[in-house]
Amino acid sequence: MIKRLSLASRLALLFAACTAMVSLVAGVLFNHASEAHFIELDQQQLDSKLMALRSTLQGVDSLETFAQREAQLRAELTRQPDLRLRISADGRRWLDDAPSVNLPTAPGLYSLQTADTDYRVYNAPLTPGQPGSPQLSLMLDITHHQHFLQRMQHLIWLTVGLSALATALLGAWAARSGLRPLRRMGEVAAGVSAHSLTQRLPQQHMPMELAELAQAFNAMLGRLDDAFQRLSAFSADIAHELRTPLSNLLTQTQVILTQPRPLEDYREALHSNLEELQWMAQLVNDMLYLAKADHGLLMPKREPLALADEAEALLEFFALLAEDAQVSLVREGSAHTAGDRGMLRRALSNLLDNALRFTPAGGEVRVSLSEHAKGVTLTVANTGDGIPAQLLPKLFNRFYRADPARYEGSSEHAGLGLAITQSIVRAHGGRIFCESEAGLTRFVIELPAGD
Amino acid sequence: MKLLIVEDQPKTGHYLRQGLAEAGFTTELVADGTNGQHLALTGDYDLLILDVMLPGRDGWQILQAVRSAGLDIPVLFLTARDAVEDRVHGLELGADDYLVKPFAFSELLARVRSLLRRGGSTPQETTLQLADLRLDLIRRRVERDGQRIDLTAKEFSLLELLLRRQGEVLPKTLIASQVWDMNFDSDTNIIEVAIRRLRLKVDDNFPNKLIHTVRGMGYVLEERLP
Repeated sequence: MIKRLSLASRLALLFAACTAMVSLVAGVLFNHASEAHFIELDQQQLDSKLMALRSTLQGVDSLETFAQREAQLRAELTRQPDLRLRISADGRRWLDDAPSVNLPTAPGLYSLQTADTDYRVYNAPLTPGQPGSPQLSLMLDITHHQHFLQRMQHLIWLTVGLSALATALLGAWAARSGLRPLRRMGEVAAGVSAHSLTQRLPQQHMPMELAELAQAFNAMLGRLDDAFQRLSAFSADIAHELRTPLSNLLTQTQVILTQPRPLEDYREALHSNLEELQWMAQLVNDMLYLAKADHGLLMPKREPLALADEAEALLEFFALLAEDAQVSLVREGSAHTAGDRGMLRRALSNLLDNALRFTPAGGEVRVSLSEHAKGVTLTVANTGDGIPAQLLPKLFNRFYRADPARYEGSSEHAGLGLAITQSIVRAHGGRIFCESEAGLTRFVIELPAGD
Repeated sequence: MKLLIVEDQPKTGHYLRQGLAEAGFTTELVADGTNGQHLALTGDYDLLILDVMLPGRDGWQILQAVRSAGLDIPVLFLTARDAVEDRVHGLELGADDYLVKPFAFSELLARVRSLLRRGGSTPQETTLQLADLRLDLIRRRVERDGQRIDLTAKEFSLLELLLRRQGEVLPKTLIASQVWDMNFDSDTNIIEVAIRRLRLKVDDNFPNKLIHTVRGMGYVLEERLP
């Protein structure tokens, strides 16, 4: 049952319970203290009365001597209406103001309750230290004390009850207003849909405990927004990428067919169409490859590979291109891993292709391999203008081109190379990132150690 | 050389047939799996080109029927489904090669020729020749019109490939795969650069050009008389 209660009610109940507990303990302590204080007061009062009685009855040791003093004693007692006295010796009562009351016989202080009166009873011998001395029993009427104590107990109970009720109500109000940011969070969460992923929780107005949650929540929204943006941008990009070659094909074919032409013109048009078509086929194949990766269908083989040999083979492949671009290709270090030769070659080839495209003449592209306990690191670094830091996270996005003006020639590739490389690296359980500083750009692939 | 094409898409089938016929093959085209299987089992073909998705019986079933009948004809699959299990499935059943749509016709032609060559035993040649170009495989020397041409190891391999398959248009991907062992679609222009270098040494000083570019398709080594 308690599990289903709202957080606010739970807090209010807990507040009430705490207050009740605290006021109850305080009340009980106060009650005890006042009772002890009254006993102490009574004791003092009884002590002084006892002293007075003793001086009045000094020298009395038999019924005869008592009879001589009785008148004086009675006169004294009438001045003290709250005191009753009983004097007994050898089992006989010399004097008794309250014959119906049953008194304890041993000396000491007692509390006693009769039908309508409360007494504090003090038993003491008339002459201390003398055996067989008559016994004095002083009975102090304390009914009004007891009434006061009773009233106070009632007051305590009332206070406990009322303060618990008050804290429950106040606590409920406080908890509700304290938990308002939580409700606001709920409202935002409830309002999130694919179209409103940009909404965020105001973090600066959040209490400290909720700020963390709000931050996590906002970060989640951010990631969702990002992924969603990329997904919708992806379809838009595909359409955009295909539009240029398709419109080329349409226009060219229509223009060619409008009138009879020499054979050579048709051939030329078909060749040109073929180039556009090949570019489109390549694009579709690359996209299928990425789609496969997205669906987790890219399953790399795990064959033992000497990465130095693979890098050498690729450097040999790219040697002519590098020579043409007057860029030197260097490999250093070696590493061994288990992976898919074809896929890793493709990944590295994309990086080399990319590096060569952005290295100025006279520059260098360096492939570094290293092996450590956690796995292998493969770095492709090239000299040349660095990549601005704000562009680094976008490099691996599909259709991303560092320089948008580069496109519009169909021989240029579609900007899927780095995305494919990333997919391949991820399929191998590794990660890839790019670092760039002035004059040096470095792509780093980290692959985990094989089993 | 007699080829059977089983392909249900009329346009694809028509162009495949035309292309292969013009490349010098005798071809027959069937559009459904049932007839396809019947012909594959009864006709005397040198190569089967099968689409995977077919009405009647699919490509896998035809392949199974062919192999269980004890026929050792090379089989080339065309598939639009580029899933790994497809590849595994096809190769387990005994397919010899496969191409994923969309593919380039030059690529198909190159694969078909490779498969047909695999079957027949090629005599171990020591020299390859076209017009006045001679390549000595044993001494690894190249001569043209009696003049020695110095080639790097890769240039030699490239020229050897072009000479062995002279008259065939070789797509860039095939060249990358055969010469550099790079078996992925690469959109770099490395092959262009390599061909340009080779031309510089083999063709530039001679009036009779042998290496030709077929735009959008690849490269071919052949003697074209003016």
